[in-house]
Order: sequence, then structure tokens, then C-alpha cells
Amino acid sequence: MDAFTNFLNGTIALFSDPVGILIFLGGVIGGMLFGAIPGVSMLTLAAILLPFTAHLSAEHGIMLFSVIYCTGVYGGAITAILFNIPGAPENAPTAFDGYPMTLNGQAGKAVGAAVMCSALGGTISAVIMMAATAPIADWAISAFGPPEIFALVFFGLAVAASVGAKTLWKGWLSILAGLMIAVVGLDPVGGIARYDFGMPYLLAGIHFIPTILGFFAVSEIFVQAEKKVTGVYEAPELHVDFPSLSELIAHKIAVLRSIVIGFFCGILPGIGATLAAFMGYNEAVRWSKDRKAFGKGKLEGVISSETANNAATGAAMIPLLALGLPGGALTAMMVGVFQMHDMEPGPLVFINSPDLVWVVFAAMFFANLSILFIGVLETKTIINLLRIPFQFLAPMILLLATVGAYAVRGLVIDVVVMFVAGAMGFFLRRSGYSVAGIVLGLILGKIGEQTFAQAMQMLHFEWLGFFDRPIALTLLIAGVLTTLGSAYTAFFKKHHH
Amino acid sequence: MNYKKYLASTGTTVAAMAFSASVAMAACATDGLPASMEMPGGFPERALTMIVPYGPAGGSGQVAQAMAQAVTELTGVSINRDHKPGGSGTVGMTAFMATPADGYTVLEHIDDASSAHALDSTRPNPAKDLIPLVISQITFSQIYIRTDEDRFTDWNSFVEWVNAQDGKATIANVSKEGSMERVTMKFITDATGMKIQQISFDKGAPRYGALAGGQVDALFEQPGDVRSFLDAGKFKPILTILKEAPAAFADVPSLADVGLEFEPLFRFRGFYAHAGAPEDRVKWLQWAFQKAYCEKSYQDYNEGKFMTLIESFRDTDGARELITSTISQYRDVYKEMGLEVK
Repeated sequence: MDAFTNFLNGTIALFSDPVGILIFLGGVIGGMLFGAIPGVSMLTLAAILLPFTAHLSAEHGIMLFSVIYCTGVYGGAITAILFNIPGAPENAPTAFDGYPMTLNGQAGKAVGAAVMCSALGGTISAVIMMAATAPIADWAISAFGPPEIFALVFFGLAVAASVGAKTLWKGWLSILAGLMIAVVGLDPVGGIARYDFGMPYLLAGIHFIPTILGFFAVSEIFVQAEKKVTGVYEAPELHVDFPSLSELIAHKIAVLRSIVIGFFCGILPGIGATLAAFMGYNEAVRWSKDRKAFGKGKLEGVISSETANNAATGAAMIPLLALGLPGGALTAMMVGVFQMHDMEPGPLVFINSPDLVWVVFAAMFFANLSILFIGVLETKTIINLLRIPFQFLAPMILLLATVGAYAVRGLVIDVVVMFVAGAMGFFLRRSGYSVAGIVLGLILGKIGEQTFAQAMQMLHFEWLGFFDRPIALTLLIAGVLTTLGSAYTAFFKKHHH
Repeated sequence: MNYKKYLASTGTTVAAMAFSASVAMAACATDGLPASMEMPGGFPERALTMIVPYGPAGGSGQVAQAMAQAVTELTGVSINRDHKPGGSGTVGMTAFMATPADGYTVLEHIDDASSAHALDSTRPNPAKDLIPLVISQITFSQIYIRTDEDRFTDWNSFVEWVNAQDGKATIANVSKEGSMERVTMKFITDATGMKIQQISFDKGAPRYGALAGGQVDALFEQPGDVRSFLDAGKFKPILTILKEAPAAFADVPSLADVGLEFEPLFRFRGFYAHAGAPEDRVKWLQWAFQKAYCEKSYQDYNEGKFMTLIESFRDTDGARELITSTISQYRDVYKEMGLEVK
């Protein structure tokens, strides 16, 4: 039976079952809602629902989680755009340009682009997932080991250095600051404590969610509060204009590029949507003729980030279903749902439970499509939150951010970290440093350090071994050329002026 | 029929399930605990809190969820799980030690707490500074290779091949300083003279993906964690790190079969109360958690995780004995490894 027939059968099975429809709709709305509210996330919803899935059929339980995954990744874009609070780390790059668009009175356009591109990225990803799960999974794990992932991270950091900072030098310093923060805690190889200052809680490292909330939300509140005090504050104008079709078509290359990047990052176990969003954004900047416009409200920034993170959702299901390898926290919880029903994700699922697989595939496809319809309705209502006066909105945002920082691990130190990051962000932004660079350095630094250590162990501590691996070598060369290219441009421009 | 033979003939796991179920039922039939126990002074009057030092999706998160559900089914008392991951369990342990010793807060922890104390005696000793309520999962480790591997097919040919690689062979492992995995690998390499590079993966998925994708030559893991790969015929065990092979893996050589002589270390997960908690409350908690081990939902969970291939249950005294011997064993090895034992 071909994939299309299987998909049709899965669709019929999904929509001919009233309980299944209810669960599907509950997952779509719950994922969007929990994704959109800072402080809670789709993971919170999934953790709450996990024990209850024992009372559902395996098909319903796994379908519910996959739907939450699709819509939850999109939901966080709304608060990122409207309030500079990414609902989840994978929505952080959306805030880079989404929030400036809100300040420029283009909130509707930004949210509209997020809706459409999330739906598009996720739907295409779901289609590829349905067409070729097994061969893609096999290719990904054999072609991409720690050396290749480290090289990918290096390339990502090289591109990111030119994002958001006033000068290349400040861009690199921002990235390095993020990398420094990433090394706090136990080292990923020997478990040796670093920079813990005798505090057990610091052994767990600085978590990136409170850091993101601090650098983005809290520092923004400080910036706006200063404007309010000095009398230069202006409430953002409210427009609910969606991007036109021609605007979206004009960004077709950015969309396609982000789908490829997002899908590619999604299939790598342990990488997932966060790296996808950052890489999608970075590549948009790298290939743009107008790099300086990024970070100031460029629609392409929102499009690239949101397309990529949703493109990662379908892709992340590939290693999970084909190999039993979860790519992130939510897919790891899905393993728990499988196990509650005496099943294990992996190749046998396709043989033993093909009906389940195709109902899940169909549900993910339609969940991504439903982002488009429900998202449009949601946008026209939720955007009115911007009408709330700043003196009421700011404490609400601070409260939500505080709850969000604490909720990650139930640690007060995470709240402290958030406010310290907020204060640092306030001053660093004035000095032309990039808070996005710091956050990216922190997130990619943790992945990069671990994969570098693993790569060196695999290469028997001979760094020239990277040259024997074509994909790693290509990415490293691309990273070096990007760095040299941006340095040359910066130097040339300085002397030219 | 053992697991390997059954898989070879049918590709399913029913034989292993049946075998493990019989072991589990035998353990619960002899527990001798009363069917019910009066709540001392009404304790607990509210929900208990279970601190879990790892995330909800991993092995600890799952066992915590399964045990909490079983205790609630048995007693009607709710348990809120509070995940505090980080620092290899240090953050959760620190948070637990800061809570009041009133019996309302319990801790889930794994053998890492014992090895941490062995290395640094200022860290809490789970056998003395805490009261073990129950150890509900004990499992052993195995060495795995890909089933389609043609460079070596069993333990002897693996050792031969590794020795021919002059230190270039690799094995995916957790491999943190002083971990059960690293210590066990030291035992094995010392005894066989193998030089093998251990690659550190702290998360399961990339670790298993590394073997499945051919990034490494072998994998050190516990059978329950790679069950899907075993069921699918992707991985096969070539050594069981036990003195005698359990019936389900009778065809896989054990330590004795390949002439390795060392005391195997176990991965274990259990639940603890504060040492200073009121005695009557601790007794009730011991009853509730030990009895919950025999609840059907918990037994089903343990079976699914391959946690009944060897005796997985220890009551308080049994847990103390296991923890104390584990600490002593780790300490000796650490000194031998030249690690600074505080």
C-alpha cells in the first residue's frame, strides 16, 4: 500500500472517530494556548497529561502528544512577537524581528506571517515525514555524528556573530559571553564542577529559559519603563493587517531555505526545533542583501524562524518512530506514552501498528493546517492585548516571566538569573552588544561543548581527524569563510568610510 | 526458551514478558506486608511531595510517575512530583535535604547518590542520612553491538578485534568520572587488557543513535533502556555483566563464562524519607511504598522496562545493605583509580 493510500486511511480513521476528533481539537487548542502563555509551555501540558494517557488508547495518546507538539511550537511565537517573551526557546529568534515589528505598528503582519509560515513549514515537514521516514532516519544517524554536529554548531555561531550587534567585534564578544555562561555547571564529559562557587544549584548550570526571559522580556520592560519615566514612551500602534500573498511569495526562498534547515535539524537526535529556529534565522541574515535591517523589524526574520521551528516538528518524529530515538523533551515524553501501552517506538511500530502510525501522521498534517485557520482567528483577538496600558501590562509580563523562570526547575536561583540577565540585557543593548548572540552562545555552547568533547574522543584527540569527515570539514570551512568574510566586510567598510 | 532464542524464532518479546512476570509475582507473593495500615495520627493529611532529581522523560522520571501512581492507587494519597534536574542529581538531593523532616517530602534517587557519597563523604549517605523506603528497580548492564555487525559477532571476537585496533575502537557510554559505567569499564579493560575509547553521551537517544548509526563500535547500557532495539533485532548483547546470566539472556555470556572475575555493579532506583522524620510516619511510608511495588500497575511498568529479570525489590534493610556494599566497592575502586576520595 502506498503512502498516499495509508494517509487517506489514517485520515478516515481520525475523522470517523468522535473521541479522536475531540482529542485532536483539544490537543490543537491546548498546544496553542500553553505554547502562547509564558511560564508554561507545551511541555507543561504534556507533563500534566502524561499519566492520563494511560486511560486513552495508544492511538489517541500518541496522536494527542504529536498534535500538542505541532501547535505548541507555533503558540510561543505570539508572545515573542507581541511582548518580546518567547513562549519557548525555539521562538526566541522570532522575537528578534517580531517584537520590533510590533513596536513599528506591524504586530498583525508579524503574527500573521508566523501563523502562515508555521502552518506551511509544519505541513511540508509532515508530508516529507510521511513519504520517507525510515530512509531519512537511517541516513541522519549514520551521516551525522558528534564531529558533524559540532561543525554545524560552529557554523551557526560564525553566522550568528553578525546578528544584532552594532559591530562584528561586539557580535563575537556577545557570542563568547554566551559560551562562557554555558560552561557553568558540571562538564559534560567528566562531570567536573565548574564556576559553581560552592553553590550546589549552580552545578546544574545556567538554564537558558530564565536567561531568555531575562534578556528579552525583563530587559525590554526596563527599556520601556525608562522611556515612560523620561516621557518618550509611545504605545505601539495596533494594526491587524496580515501579510499579503505577494509579500509571502516574495519570501519564497527564505521559506524554502528554512524548511530544509528546520527539517534537517529536526531529524538529528537531541538537536531539534531550537537549533532549527536559530539556524533558519541566521541563514536568512547571511543570504540577505540588507543584513542591517534584521533585528529592526524585518518580516523575513519572523518568516525564517517560524518556518524552521515548525519544519522541525515532523522531522523530529522520524528518529522517534523509525528508531525509537527522541529528539527532545516532548518526543521523549511520547516514548513514555508508547511504554504505558506496552509498546516501544522504533521499527517494529511500523510493522506491528501501522494504523497507529498513519493516524498520527494524518493528525500531525491536519494539526499544522489547523494552525492556519485557528491562528487567523486567534490573531485577531489576542493582538488586542496590546491595548492594555503599559503600567498594567508591564507588571503582568514581569509576573508571567517570574513564574516561567521558576517553573522550569522549581529553583529560586532561576528567578535571580532572570533578573540579573534582565539588568545585564538593559545595559548591553545600550552599548551595542547583542542579547540574541548571548542567548545563542548559551544554547549552542552546551551542544557544542558536548559534541566537541565526544568528537575529540572519537577522533582519539587528533583534531585533524575532522578533515577525514567530509560533512564536518565542509561545515567547518563554511564557518571559517563566514567569519573571514564578515571580518573583511567590517574592516573594508571601516576603512572605506 | 530464552529471550534471544525466542526473538530469533518469532521476533516478539512474549517469552521474556512471561518470564519476567513470573519473577515479579514470586517477589510480591513473599513480601509479607499487611494489606492495609492505619494512618498514624491521620498522616498524611495532604498530598505528599516527591522530589525527582532528573527530568520527567528519563528513567527516574518514569519510575517516579509509576510509583506515585501505585501509591495513590493503594492508599488514595496523592503525590506531587517536583522535578529538580541538574548536577547529576545534586540539585534534587540538596533541595530535598532543605525540606522539613515531617514525612511529607520523599526523594527518588538512583545509585549515583551512593557513588557521589563514596567519592565525597560530605555528600549524604543514602543508607544513613536518609531512610530508604524501597528500592524498586535493580538492573544489570550489558555490552551491545549492532546485529548486522560483521567485524565481530560475539564477545571473544569483539575483544580480539578491539585489541587489533590499537586503542582506536570506541564504545558509547555515560562515562562520567566515577560513574557506574566508567568503573565497570575499568574492571573489564583491566581484566581483558583491552584498550577502548569511551565516548561520553549523557543522554540516551544520541547514545543509542551512535551505535545504530555506526558512529561507535559498541554500547554499554542496561537492557530495559534498549529494549526496543533488542525487540527490533537492531542490537544484540554480547556480554552480560553479571556473574551468572539470567534465564532471559541465557545465550549471552556472563562474566563467569568469559573468565572475568569482579563484583558487578548495579543500576538501582529507589525512594527515600528524611532520617529525622517521625518514626510512625516513616513506618507508614515504608509500608505504602513497599506495598505499592506489588500493585499491578507498578509491576506492569517494571516488566515493560526489563526490571524483573533479576530481583528488583529491596526493603529498607535490604536497601541499606545494597547501598553500603555499593559505597564500599566504589570507594575501593576510586582509590585504585587514583581519584581523590574525600
